[in-house]
Amino acid sequence: MSDVLLSIRNVQKFYGRLAAVGGVSLDIRDNEFFALLGASGSGKTTLLRMLAGFETPTSGAILLDGQDVSAVPPNHRPVNLMFQSYALFPHMTVAQNIAYGLEMDRMPRSEIRTRVDEMLEVIQLSHLSGRKPEQLSGGQRQRVALARALVKRPRVLLLDEPLGALDKKLRGEMQLELKRIQDEFGITFIVVTHDQEEALVMADRVAILKDGLLLQCGTPHEIYEHPESRFAADFIGVMNFLPVRVQGGRLVAENGNVFKGALPNGLGEGDEAVVAVRPERLRLGASDGDNSLTGRVAATAYHGLDLQLHLDTPNSPGPVLVRLTADAAEGRVYREGEEVTVGWSARDTRVFPA
Amino acid sequence: MADRSTRRLMLVILSAVFAFLYIPISVLVALSFNEGGLPTAWTGFSTKWYGELIANKDIMGAALNTLIVALASTLIATVLGSLLAVGVEIRRRKGRFLETVIFAPMIIPDIVLAIALLSFFSMLDVTLGLNTIIVSHVVFNLAFVCAVVRARLKTFDWTIVEASTDLGASTITTLRRVVLPVLMPAVIAGALLAFTLSVDEFIIAFFTAGAGRDSITLPMQIFAMIRFGVTPEINALATIVMTVSVVALALSQRLNSGKLAGQ
Amino acid sequence: MADRKPLYLMSPALAWLTAFMVVPCLLVLALAFFRRGIYGGIEYTFTFETIALVFDPLYASIFLKSAVIAGLAGLIASVIGYAAAYAIASMPARHQPMLLFFAVLPFWSNYLVRTYAWIVLLNREGLITAIARGLGYDGELPRLLYTESAVVVGLVYNYLPFVILACYAPLSRLNPEIAEASRDLGGSAWTTFRRITLPMTAPGIATGFVFVFVLSIGNFVTPALLGGGQFQMIGNLVYAQFLTANDWPFGAALSMVLIAIMMGLLTLQTFVTERASGARARET
Repeated sequence: MSDVLLSIRNVQKFYGRLAAVGGVSLDIRDNEFFALLGASGSGKTTLLRMLAGFETPTSGAILLDGQDVSAVPPNHRPVNLMFQSYALFPHMTVAQNIAYGLEMDRMPRSEIRTRVDEMLEVIQLSHLSGRKPEQLSGGQRQRVALARALVKRPRVLLLDEPLGALDKKLRGEMQLELKRIQDEFGITFIVVTHDQEEALVMADRVAILKDGLLLQCGTPHEIYEHPESRFAADFIGVMNFLPVRVQGGRLVAENGNVFKGALPNGLGEGDEAVVAVRPERLRLGASDGDNSLTGRVAATAYHGLDLQLHLDTPNSPGPVLVRLTADAAEGRVYREGEEVTVGWSARDTRVFPA
Repeated sequence: MADRSTRRLMLVILSAVFAFLYIPISVLVALSFNEGGLPTAWTGFSTKWYGELIANKDIMGAALNTLIVALASTLIATVLGSLLAVGVEIRRRKGRFLETVIFAPMIIPDIVLAIALLSFFSMLDVTLGLNTIIVSHVVFNLAFVCAVVRARLKTFDWTIVEASTDLGASTITTLRRVVLPVLMPAVIAGALLAFTLSVDEFIIAFFTAGAGRDSITLPMQIFAMIRFGVTPEINALATIVMTVSVVALALSQRLNSGKLAGQ
Repeated sequence: MADRKPLYLMSPALAWLTAFMVVPCLLVLALAFFRRGIYGGIEYTFTFETIALVFDPLYASIFLKSAVIAGLAGLIASVIGYAAAYAIASMPARHQPMLLFFAVLPFWSNYLVRTYAWIVLLNREGLITAIARGLGYDGELPRLLYTESAVVVGLVYNYLPFVILACYAPLSRLNPEIAEASRDLGGSAWTTFRRITLPMTAPGIATGFVFVFVLSIGNFVTPALLGGGQFQMIGNLVYAQFLTANDWPFGAALSMVLIAIMMGLLTLQTFVTERASGARARET
């Protein structure tokens, strides 16, 4: 189960003197649902295109089943790509689109038909097999694109922002659908996305890229709970940041508040740092926590399951976000300007260099 | 703006302009079916002038020449022009010089291109004839084919080329099964346009045809006949030529607007 | 490799254009700097004489006449064409494509045929004469065919569809709310047209005018057929140098001047259009 299928070894890609990918190493396991997460310009798409074969690494190697495939052209790689724009052939029907890749493999006609029919079942579009792409909705096109890439049973399926063009509701459904299909086919999926929520929901493991470099790679839980950098902490989920300074091994805010938390390596006496804590880790009252701060309610937002408070505090330039479960809020009404104290434990505190 | 009097004025303008555009050619078409052949009196419907056309060896010979020139130059221009269009659009950086060379045949006055080619051919001692007309017609035809195909390529989704490669197709297979079918309506539209332009083209053919009767094209024949005055035969011939070009170009336009695409 | 592919695809066409357009045109340019031999033919000595001959008063008058006729044709075609385009653009949106299609349709028929249609109408036994007689007028009719007016009418008729097309493009892109804003601010319909609509759509008129002017000034078919050889335009002069007078250097010089006029006008037009769109950019 945990065999390495795809190994990216110190891959670099330069365009002229510009590094789009600057030395990334990753091991992706067989049958894994893997996400490459990053903002635009992070190098995630370039990396994906190198895996597909449309770009050749400037240096480094890409190993598939232990074989270096970095120089193998895309049409000879057992890797298929689901394009962000879907790139469906406009002059072919749904069935013809799906059959195309199998025809390239010179598969017998009867077998192609069986495989295409099977695939149409999977994506639940059997009734639309004769339609042209322009006659389909966005969600249907997305599924055809998936089917077309998947029907070849590649070793690795690459998906470039697969849900980017869908509306929010459909996106939620398709996240689960993609997971189901990946499970059913047992094929390694590598998804490129800029949407951290999407990555967390779908992927077994997530790699965060920034400026062509790998920042962190781990399970969604690891990345959410133990971000290794301020960027990762900020990029994933919502995080409160409180500026402090290291004084005598303690974290002291400008107003004198002292916070407890494990100091990372490399932070020395007098350095500026930030204390990070997730909104849902904050509890009302200072009593049960190692850390606390006091602020005035600037705004409240009711979300059904939880109540969010925006607190103006001297500890942070922007408001501190507190997310109280409905139970914790106990139906209390918070007025603007009301003073509130919140606390949290040192275990839930992360500290990063400023 | 949408008040009544303005609206009425607009309708008057439109009617006047359409009358100006259509009365002359309508008269021509009507007269070609007039038995007496004269504009002064309608003596009854007849197709006899069309019959006389067919019997006229000069006209039939010229029509055959025109067909040869148009087919040959269209064929060459369609291949060269389509390849040129794909090449130009693949290239990321486009030089201004390249654009000028491609556009030039469409904007150079016919007469200048005509004398340039005449000088060129006679300087090289090439015998003038149908072959030189064909070569010359390819010059502007390929520019028009290129323009039509390029217009289609502007909205062409290049990722389908990558998708085809990703699914295992070679470059040739991708061209044959993906690029060409998608571009086909535009290529045919360009070919129809080129064919019509070639059928109608007079000035360049006139200069590059040489002296012999063997290389007279239909427009040259019409020009010669018109100079002798109005005859019912020319009316009939003009009607046919007009119908051919209008039908071919309407078809080309339709293909190009994508209404027939994907069928 | 990805960068070499386009070159493969382009090279046959580019080779063709080089051999049969660029080289011949350069040849004509070179010819203009030689002179006619005493017994015809070409005398290969470098000289400006031939080009100077173009500016000889004898020929200058032909240039002037050509320019007047081409300018008149361009002007009339622009006015009619703009009016027609404006009328089309004011019709319900669903009818506009059809109207435009039929406005341009005649443009696709053979040029000679369209010109010939006017011979049928204008000649001495033509339709107009017939109608006048039918209405009971039996006096002497002014000559219609083989006049300068006939040439202008023929040119306008032939090129009008293009002008309609060129004027319609900016008119159809015009945001109607801009004109409404002008009315809202107190401008009359006429002021709105003059101050708002017309300036914003002027590039279309410029394109149409330049097109008609350029094609008319070098035209030799229409003067030959509707002018009946009564007077010469530049096109006829070039034609004569090559096919009758056998003075190729002079014909080449004339056509170079023709090209120069054309390029000058196109540059001017680009300039005008860019200024107009620049003004528009500043507004928004």
